[in-house]
Amino acid sequence: MIAPDWFREDRLPHIYCTGCGNGTVINCTLGAVEEMGWKREETVFVSGIGCSSRAPGYILTDSLHTTHGRALAFATGVKMARPDLNVVVFTGDGDLAAIGGNHFIHACRRNVDMTVVCMNNHIYGMTGGQGSPTTPPGAISTTTPYGASEPAFDLAELAVAAGANYVARWTSYHVKELTKAVAAGMQTPGLAFIEVRTQCPTNYGRHNKLRRVSDMIEHLRSHAMLVDKYNRLTAEGKPVPDGTFTVGELVRRNRPAMGVKS
Amino acid sequence: MKLVIDESRCKGCNLCVLVCPYGIFQEGTELNSRGIVTPVLDRPERCTNCRLQALYGRMLCGVCHIICPDQAIAWVEEKPFEPHKVEVEF
Repeated sequence: MIAPDWFREDRLPHIYCTGCGNGTVINCTLGAVEEMGWKREETVFVSGIGCSSRAPGYILTDSLHTTHGRALAFATGVKMARPDLNVVVFTGDGDLAAIGGNHFIHACRRNVDMTVVCMNNHIYGMTGGQGSPTTPPGAISTTTPYGASEPAFDLAELAVAAGANYVARWTSYHVKELTKAVAAGMQTPGLAFIEVRTQCPTNYGRHNKLRRVSDMIEHLRSHAMLVDKYNRLTAEGKPVPDGTFTVGELVRRNRPAMGVKS
Repeated sequence: MKLVIDESRCKGCNLCVLVCPYGIFQEGTELNSRGIVTPVLDRPERCTNCRLQALYGRMLCGVCHIICPDQAIAWVEEKPFEPHKVEVEF
């Protein structure tokens, strides 16, 4: 177990389904927290509602489990009241992109000093597999039984456009890179947004012929493309395979941030 | 150091089977007491972290340890003179 003094061992094993990637993301985030050397009493984990938002319940620090989509609003409040605290937000795609979309773009615009880890599993996993704003086109869910017809949200690009200081995207297969990206985000002043594409074999994979965990991981791995390669392909005018998403560090900049510890 | 799978936490997703570069984790076949097929270890002493963690003083590979969503994989100190299963190849 990574970072054993950060886990509530009496709460384990957690409620996530077999093969759920959220446990991996908790491991990577706590690995990064341990790398940063933060103290337990100076760290706050904030989450909204959803599978991903159960994560702070397994971490031995003060945490806020808030209303649906409002995790970033609560986290902004925490940071404004106590700028000396380190704030990490766990949120899911339904939480961040659907109901909390406005909070997300405004937190990016204000550039509040915190780290947002979004576990994007392409579906509303907890409520039974309804289609979310990030469900890829053609994917089958319980509310899109003939395949999703709408284009999906690209959360990392949204954060870049809205003005976050650090934006990266990885999958739950790329654990070492993800740990490094979360640590880099924690070091950057201003809002750091790390989108993690995770597998959901129970509610996404089951409807999309990816029932086994290894199939789902292989699907993520084969559709991920490094940002540099993507930029090179588009600059050369070569075709990018359908359904690929970019992974890597999308932006790192120094816009004025809010709530930075002085 | 010794590689162990915590049977009380493992949910049998077999992600460790997928990522281990040495193929130490193999898909299990038998149900354990919780009704879960946990992976079995194939000659775990081949694991680089088992042999060299103490020498280097840091985690060496540890991908199974990070990717395990159930925090079930760990390295524990061996007791002195612990019996080992030895396979003799002819």
